[in-house]
Amino acid sequence: MNEILTQEKSIYIQISEMIENDILRDIILEEERVPSTNELAKLYSINPATAAKGINILVDTGILYKKRGIGMFVSKGAKKKIMETRKEQFFDNYIKTLLSEAESLGITKEELIKMIEEKDN
Amino acid sequence: MMELIECKNLCKNYKDKSALKDVNVTFEKGKIYGLIGRNGAGKTTLLSIMSAQNPASGGSITVDGEAVWENPNALKKICFSRELNVSQTSSNGLGAMKVKEYLKIASIYYPLWDKDMAKKLVNEFELDVNKKMGALSKGMLSMVTIVVALASKAPYTFLDEPVAGLDVIMREYFYKLLVEEYSETGRTFIISTHIIEEASPMFEEVVMIKNGTLILKENTEELIASAFHVNGKAEDVDAATEGLSKYHEEIIGRSKGVTVFLKNGEKIKEGYDVTVQPVNLQQIFVALCGMGA
Repeated sequence: MNEILTQEKSIYIQISEMIENDILRDIILEEERVPSTNELAKLYSINPATAAKGINILVDTGILYKKRGIGMFVSKGAKKKIMETRKEQFFDNYIKTLLSEAESLGITKEELIKMIEEKDN
Repeated sequence: MMELIECKNLCKNYKDKSALKDVNVTFEKGKIYGLIGRNGAGKTTLLSIMSAQNPASGGSITVDGEAVWENPNALKKICFSRELNVSQTSSNGLGAMKVKEYLKIASIYYPLWDKDMAKKLVNEFELDVNKKMGALSKGMLSMVTIVVALASKAPYTFLDEPVAGLDVIMREYFYKLLVEEYSETGRTFIISTHIIEEASPMFEEVVMIKNGTLILKENTEELIASAFHVNGKAEDVDAATEGLSKYHEEIIGRSKGVTVFLKNGEKIKEGYDVTVQPVNLQQIFVALCGMGA
């Protein structure tokens, strides 16, 4: 949870994505507690309601669950679930932008594929 | 009964100048509000009237249902930690007062005063309590107003330009202190500031005033999410934003930039070669209150 907030996106979305990133990178493991709303609010100097909104998105999607009186925890299978969702969004988030930029630069589909194939050489 | 501060048809006239015009606004308990407006917009006037330090020319203010004017019962719930200025401090005798004397008066005035907290903050700010108020820098005066505001423990606390003159380290420290105090107590804070971008993530709601008139009161996140900057070839921008509420149009040659606010379900029309970017609270403020806006 040490990313820096940017102005490109709503803060609550950034909070939920940061927690997801930490889960993807095994910084927070499944069945471990995530920082509380107040801890997040203090860390980023943000309104606790905003932090709570970010956490609640992850509760709604089943990534986190609440243990009464203790806090929020990472669900079993959360990492896999995040990867699946991000894969579904990959086309919209990355491929579309890539194709649109390639088009305005006159890069053909063949050239693009070649770039990807030659990336590791 | 709802716990809130309610201003109804509030007006304030100074001689021939109208500082507040028919302001209707409520501040609910348990939120952090950002009060923003340009210099002279009426922010300080509003806060001073809400805390009965200044009489209104018309309208009413109630706290949790009780009128504030000459009502100690209502006033003990409110702390307005005014911005202190050096000229002010030297002219009215405050300049000759020691910091510890000033804090002593505050401790008597505010019934819920937290002595330990005041002491802790004075230490953390490295304030010399034996110094005279008149000898303090602008930043140190701001620290004194912050100590008073936080240690007052008043359920409704107003801070007027609390970070004026503070360096970025102290400003960030103040934001942390405020969020910490808020998450522990749920006190209501109304904060006026010109350093909008730094403070905006703390504000649950933003209240904007312009020339003495309330122009906006909205949930900060929702407001920011509804606003976009659109730019591109002028005719494309016009076509893509047709029918939307537009502000702050800027034209350079063939290119045009405009800020739009999308209301319930409105969209920027697709199919035009325009760049759509998110905007921050400061940019929204400039769009609504800037020169020529």
